[in-house]
Amino acid sequence: MMSPTSRTRYSPPWGNASIIGIAGSSGSGKTSLALAIVASLNLPWVVIMSMDSFYKPLTPEQSKAAFRNEFDFDSPQGIDFDVLVDKLNDIKQGRVAEVPVYSFEKHARLKQTTTIYSPHVLILEGIFALHDQRVLDMLDLKIFAEADSDLCLSRRLVRDVKERGRDIDGCIKQWFGFVKPNFYKYVAPQREIADIIIPRGIENKVAIAMVSGQIQKTLAYKSAQHQQELSRLGKIAEDSPLSPNALVLKQTNQVRGIHSLIMDPKTTREDYIFYFDRMAAILVEKAVDFLRFQPTQVTTPQGGLYMGLKKSAEVSAVVILRGGSAFETGLRRTIPDCRSGRLLIQTNYSTGEPELHYRALPNNIAEHGLVLLLDPQMSSGGAALMAVRVLTDHGVPEDRIVFVTYLAGRVGVNRVLNVYPEVRVVVARMGDDMEDRWVETKYLGC
Amino acid sequence: MPSDPENQAPSQTVGPEYRPDTQKPTATVSTNLDHQNVHILAQTPQLIALLTMIRDKNTGRADFIFYSNRIIRLLVEEGLNHLPVIEHTITTPVGRNYSGVKFEGKICGVSIMRAGESMEQGLRDCCRSVRIGKILIQRDEETSQPKLYYDKLPEDIAERWVLLLDPMLATGGSALMAVDVLKSRGVPEDHILFLNLIASPEGAKNFAERFPKVRVVTAFVDMGLDAKNYIVPGLGDFGDRFYTM
Repeated sequence: MMSPTSRTRYSPPWGNASIIGIAGSSGSGKTSLALAIVASLNLPWVVIMSMDSFYKPLTPEQSKAAFRNEFDFDSPQGIDFDVLVDKLNDIKQGRVAEVPVYSFEKHARLKQTTTIYSPHVLILEGIFALHDQRVLDMLDLKIFAEADSDLCLSRRLVRDVKERGRDIDGCIKQWFGFVKPNFYKYVAPQREIADIIIPRGIENKVAIAMVSGQIQKTLAYKSAQHQQELSRLGKIAEDSPLSPNALVLKQTNQVRGIHSLIMDPKTTREDYIFYFDRMAAILVEKAVDFLRFQPTQVTTPQGGLYMGLKKSAEVSAVVILRGGSAFETGLRRTIPDCRSGRLLIQTNYSTGEPELHYRALPNNIAEHGLVLLLDPQMSSGGAALMAVRVLTDHGVPEDRIVFVTYLAGRVGVNRVLNVYPEVRVVVARMGDDMEDRWVETKYLGC
Repeated sequence: MPSDPENQAPSQTVGPEYRPDTQKPTATVSTNLDHQNVHILAQTPQLIALLTMIRDKNTGRADFIFYSNRIIRLLVEEGLNHLPVIEHTITTPVGRNYSGVKFEGKICGVSIMRAGESMEQGLRDCCRSVRIGKILIQRDEETSQPKLYYDKLPEDIAERWVLLLDPMLATGGSALMAVDVLKSRGVPEDHILFLNLIASPEGAKNFAERFPKVRVVTAFVDMGLDAKNYIVPGLGDFGDRFYTM
């Protein structure tokens, strides 16, 4: 096993997220601007975080004042910058960030949170996005949205009445009591430190295109970095023999016979599925051997005692889509009620870079005794590396992850195991380093 | 319980090689037998945990069936490895040659009723349309010797490899008789594989010595037999727990 010092690092494309701050007066069109930018890019890894989520929960007195429209929501004191900085830090480092949800109807933080994970670019929008120095230090681009104050007031009226359940008198009281004075005191000064000032909000197509273009450049740079990272890890992997943490199934007659049927293009799909399911069950049985057990004594029906074992914690699985779904029949033969998460990782056609599109994991996955990552083929190991990283980001200890695959190449396996030396790989057969993904194609029939 | 140290159940730490002994839990593992034709499944922690489930009298029927099936599939997979294959090279979808093998020879299952029938599903999970014959052997009330009551076997059984199924091997009376029946139908001894979950050391020895060419694949050789010839610690009446309890 490798010592922790010689460990190779992998930084995923979300490892050092870029953060863009958009500040501006209430009603200046920050939100629509952010939405327009995100819509123009249309990528799952560019997301918006609103500073509205970070309002401090109100005390009972403050809450009463708020319901009378006498509480000042438009001063920086209302915002919980400590929590915001904390969450931005998580996102910046590629960790899972649980973002609070603030209810404007109740003037309180709700119990549930929303999860932000793995954005490559995050847009932070809020009237004080450029206010706190700690936040400013993390921003890669600072934008100030500007709008005429009459327009701001009318927008705010419409929004608060329609979306936040307020009445018109209350809104007007808020505007002249707090919003307007605060604007001059706190909001407007942010204009001075912005990199770009965007007037006229979403009507300003030129500005939106400019910012989108800037983000695209950032993304392309990150993607290039990621590909470089993968090829760097590949070079390290090429020079080393197959890691001892990769367990190749014993090539018994049955295993070789099943290989022959699975790999023969002349095998019918019906037979192929039957034999693949059988192989998947063998692989899963092998993989669950890595679970830890504890001693237990049981009494048999005739009253005999047997000193046996019981599992220490549950085994769950994470299916890497779409190929991993070929493993599900085999998985359910061994663990019928296995909790299973899903990750959609697709390889970008033009760059060959793996991209994380979708993620749904069991809540308590960090407490599971063993997590099986299922994918029928591992070629470059890029998707596998990303999947393992997603699990460790969610708190799963490395030594509880077993990557289960039908066919793998040595470089791919080493690429993963050099970075995560405590992960295990269970594989039915070692193949070429860069094989087409034919296994799932034949199993799923398309 | 027997006090003779020779009859003590072997207890040892179980777990993968890479794990230090201190991190491996201790459990009772299978008794070892010297007979070349007895193949005991590797005593992995997983297998021990499965056996613990089905031995526990508090395990309900649904779990009993499910966990037995898992062990049975492991037995079938191991058993099938003793069947002959022929070299067979194929071209893979990526245009490479793979020198694989082709399954050779016809097979059939024969279950010793009724407990043996519980193993048919596991067999079919691995061999989809396998033919399955049946043998009913009961103990004769008067002589207390096993007696053949019924058999229905494939007509061409003499040309097939036979996977004989019975989950419990206590004294081995019925299994021995079943092999006699198969031999009388022309099945060569070395074409018979006996698949079994739990065996008593006496039963396994008896069987292995009487038919040295029949291969026995079992998950566990237990401590011994009690006065009523039940395997101890055993798991009770397999057929009852699988079918009726």
